[in-house]
Amino acid sequence: MSDYNDNVDIVSSDSDFEIPINARQTIKKLWRSVGDQRGRLTAVLLSVFVYVLLSMISPMYSAYIVDRLWMDVKEAAEHGAIFRISLDACGRDILFLLLIYAVTAAFYTLQSFLMAGFAEKLNLRLRTEISEKLNKLPLSYFDRTKTGDILSRLINDLDKTSEVLQTGALKFFISIGLIAGSLVMMLRLSVALTIIFLIFMALALAATKFVSAKTLRFSKLRQQRVSEATAQVEEAYTGRVVIKAFNLEDNSYKNMSQAMDALADAHLKAEFFINAINPAIRLINRFGQVFIAVLAGNMLIEGRLSAGMFQAFLQYLNQASEPFTEAAYMINSIQAALASLERIYDMLEEEEISPEPASPSVINRAFGSVEFQNVRFGYTPDNILMRNVVFAVEPGQKVAIVGSTGAGKTTLINLLMRFYELNGGKILLDGIDIKTMTRSNLRDNLGMVLQDTWLFDGTVAENIAYGKPEASKEEIIAAAKAARADFFIRAMSNGYDTVLTNDSENISIGQRQLLTIARAFLRDPALIILDEATSSVDTRTEIEIGRAMKELMKNRTSFVIAHRLSTIIDADLILLMQNGNIIEQGTHKTLLKAKGAYADLYYSQFA
Amino acid sequence: MTTILNFLKPYKLLCFFTLLVMFVDVAGSLLIPTIMAKMIDAGIEGKDVSYMIQSGKIMLIVAIISGLSALLGSYLAATLSSKLGRDMRKAIYGKSLEFSSYDFERFGTGSMITRTMNDVNIVQQSAVWLIQMVLPVPAVCVSGVVMAFIIDASMGFLLIGAIVAIMSLSVFITRKASLIFDMLQKFLDKMNVLLRENISGVRVIRAFNKEKYEEKRMRKSFEDYAESAIRANRLFAALESFALFAVNFLFVIILWLGGNRIGIGLMEIGDIVALAQYVAIISFYIMMAQMVMIMMPRAIICVRRILEPLSRTPEIKDGNMSLDTSMEPTEEVVSFQKVSFRFADADENVLENLNFKCKKGETTAIIGGTGSGKSTIAKLILRFHDATSGAILLKGKDIKNLTQRELREHVSYVPQKVWLFSGAIADNLTHGSEPADEYRIKRALSAAQAEFVYDLPDGIYSRVSQGGANFSGGQKQRLSIARALSKKADMYIFDDSFSALDFKTDAALRKALAEETKDAAVLIISQRINAIINADQIVVLEEGKIVGIGNHDFLTKNCRVYQDIAKSQMAGQPFEGG
Repeated sequence: MSDYNDNVDIVSSDSDFEIPINARQTIKKLWRSVGDQRGRLTAVLLSVFVYVLLSMISPMYSAYIVDRLWMDVKEAAEHGAIFRISLDACGRDILFLLLIYAVTAAFYTLQSFLMAGFAEKLNLRLRTEISEKLNKLPLSYFDRTKTGDILSRLINDLDKTSEVLQTGALKFFISIGLIAGSLVMMLRLSVALTIIFLIFMALALAATKFVSAKTLRFSKLRQQRVSEATAQVEEAYTGRVVIKAFNLEDNSYKNMSQAMDALADAHLKAEFFINAINPAIRLINRFGQVFIAVLAGNMLIEGRLSAGMFQAFLQYLNQASEPFTEAAYMINSIQAALASLERIYDMLEEEEISPEPASPSVINRAFGSVEFQNVRFGYTPDNILMRNVVFAVEPGQKVAIVGSTGAGKTTLINLLMRFYELNGGKILLDGIDIKTMTRSNLRDNLGMVLQDTWLFDGTVAENIAYGKPEASKEEIIAAAKAARADFFIRAMSNGYDTVLTNDSENISIGQRQLLTIARAFLRDPALIILDEATSSVDTRTEIEIGRAMKELMKNRTSFVIAHRLSTIIDADLILLMQNGNIIEQGTHKTLLKAKGAYADLYYSQFA
Repeated sequence: MTTILNFLKPYKLLCFFTLLVMFVDVAGSLLIPTIMAKMIDAGIEGKDVSYMIQSGKIMLIVAIISGLSALLGSYLAATLSSKLGRDMRKAIYGKSLEFSSYDFERFGTGSMITRTMNDVNIVQQSAVWLIQMVLPVPAVCVSGVVMAFIIDASMGFLLIGAIVAIMSLSVFITRKASLIFDMLQKFLDKMNVLLRENISGVRVIRAFNKEKYEEKRMRKSFEDYAESAIRANRLFAALESFALFAVNFLFVIILWLGGNRIGIGLMEIGDIVALAQYVAIISFYIMMAQMVMIMMPRAIICVRRILEPLSRTPEIKDGNMSLDTSMEPTEEVVSFQKVSFRFADADENVLENLNFKCKKGETTAIIGGTGSGKSTIAKLILRFHDATSGAILLKGKDIKNLTQRELREHVSYVPQKVWLFSGAIADNLTHGSEPADEYRIKRALSAAQAEFVYDLPDGIYSRVSQGGANFSGGQKQRLSIARALSKKADMYIFDDSFSALDFKTDAALRKALAEETKDAAVLIISQRINAIINADQIVVLEEGKIVGIGNHDFLTKNCRVYQDIAKSQMAGQPFEGG
């Protein structure tokens, strides 16, 4: 069910409203991640400085042109002549203004381009760091973290950060410059008019604050209703057979309608406040403009202001008022981005698996003896599952692990693969403590076929060759034949080149299992770990899987999580597990003779 | 697109008013600079203060009217958006209820959820953006040009030229952007797939020592994504810079040309200020529209995805006859007459020429391997699929001639995949009928060996979480059986319904079942012989054909397939302790 939830990107997620816990720390870490891009950032800031400077000059200069134009026209009129613009008459000034504009635009482009690369490169760096981190995290991290959470950190969180960095942060720098510069210029033009402007700006800010509080509230409400409706839709679609079988359609439609009505109601409110903010602020700004226009008009009459200056004042006013109102929203999104980054850094700081030994023992190809010595283990230290597991396996022996769900069968395998670290005791391979080996050396000796068959996006051949990418086509086919998979692979549309996806429908569960067996064959490990299928596989495939597994176990020490009586009876060692511990061990015969738990189990089911 | 218009139809008036108020807002936006320009002219010509105050009053009124219109417009647009989304979601869900299993599986659960929630969301957003940001553009352009013409014809033509230039560039950039965005989406999907693989396959990756290889694979996908993202960001940056420069460039031209017009007395100095504002407003609207247009290809895909289920004709149609209840109750509850079935897109029959009868008071069992077509039989009886040829009769009437509702009133079903709805246990057992009939619930629970319910703090009113996730497999199965038993029916179908029960519970349950269903026909579908050993009639299926019919003793002697199944199950019996 989590599969499609991961992709849900409706409207806004909760994280849009988050506030970082420790913003300063996060910014410090961010600065470190910026690393070699600091030069680029400096260039951006310089460019912003020039841009702002030019933005301050151009209105003043255009005011000068307008006024000069007016003077020249008036003067020409007084002499009864017709004024025409030529290079000498205003023309040169106008062309110079064009040049200023061109340079302004050039700097704007420069800083945007630099910033576009900056944010994505930072993302690339963080994503790469996380992907490397993923391989250093202990498996317990994956046990307690949902796939969707990791995905959303790596993809959504970082995308949001990038957006904020390149538009938000850039605009932030520019805004500060523009507001400061414009205010200075406005004050120079007219203190009175600037004060009026500031009064109305304050009103606009108050309005923004009011509306954004509402927006926040209703956006949260909408988000909640979206989740509720999604849950209901998910439930109804998944259970549709039951709805139909029990004639519950009308009832279900009624419930769904209620959820949709509730969602529509919240959507209306949220959407209104989101949309209303701009018109509301515009309205307030225009009130301000009315006052300014009337006052400035009078100043014109009195000759205290020229037409050009009037126009220049209006331009500065526009340059300053826009960033002012954007500020409130920008602060929200910057906070949310910092919160996203904080989660990324949390992940990067998760505890890692223990480092490899400095001078590791090496086993090139194990003979295959395995010994568990007083093994003690719990997935969390305060909840010890295995108390004292002891057993020994000779090279080439077949071990059947038996027990109910949750008895600890998979745990035993996890420990042998060193997916988890022990809380006590030792595991020996060929008499060597596996802790003194590197993990990769240990795992090179162990092959594994799990029930949870994992295939990746790629061809059948690539999937089989996963553990041995250099394998030739012949080797791959030989492995498939040994795994009894060659037959159905050939029947596929593109044979060995057929593309599979992890949840592809073009291949059955049984066939997926055969492919993973082929994968293990190709790798030819010294020891093999198998998990017999319990999921529904048709009888024929089941027999094929059984044969393939048997073939794979030949001449190797093998551990089988056994569900089939035939496998168990053949085993050289049966480990009967309960609540994490081995409660009986021996062969089928000796265990039956012992008349303990194994015998009880056997007779209750088969006799 | 027509279907979207259909969804808008009931709100014609609302659409009209939304547009109207937005036009008022646009008109106001253009009037304000016009008035201001006049004030500048008046100022330099030395008119008096009362003129300024008069103009100020008019400006104030314009600002208020246009501002309130804009606010009203936001409200109307939000209303339209919410209604549109609500109606589309209800329509999709309503339609899904008409689908057969085959119809529904054309889309799949995940995809249907996305269509109902995310796709509708994008469409409702886009529709409103379209109305708010794209539709005003022609109005802005036309009124801007008209006002420019009022000032001076040459300025009017200049504005037309500018609009054409900006628009064509916008179209060009929109095209280019949608290409980049397509790629970006593809790389994003790839990144998602790889990451998901890496997380779900973490054990395999480590077992095969492939960490470095996976890092490289992911790094490549991150790089591809970053590269495309940078290109997309740069395109936007270029667009913004261009808009900035275009407006300024136009201002320069206005200055030059306007200066000459002023020189011959055809324009006032204030007109230059007004024109500069018109250009700024028009280009602002075009830019906003452009941003919306860049999103449109995505919205169109979503529209298509919404239309697919809506335009699909449900495979199964209701008949118009009803069962004659006055008729003498027949012994044969359900009978299969030469029934064959194949999926619409398949070449081979799933079921072929089935003939058998389920009688009142008898238990019929279906056995066979996975893929033998067992579960399909149950789905045919319930008309989740329709037989391709042959007929299934319920009490003598072809089920295709009945309404689905009536058919299902006579059949009770325990599906293979147990699904309980969130809510109280009682809600799950009453089938939407209120008030809950406690006697019936109790009886069903006790027959289904689900008395554990009474040990829960809230008894039959205890909460079930979605799908029944807060109960074990065996408990869920028993609740699902209780649900079926609490419905009075002529036929009870159990599709692999006893697999999660332990031996003792299984035996007790069967005893109680016999009592509960003695007046009905029972159909049990199973893979395991010991689940059906006592059935009155066992139908053995292999590859969709009946290869044996009779009781256990008969089949043990005479049916090879049945013997094989028996043999393999003795050797490969699931062996689970605990």
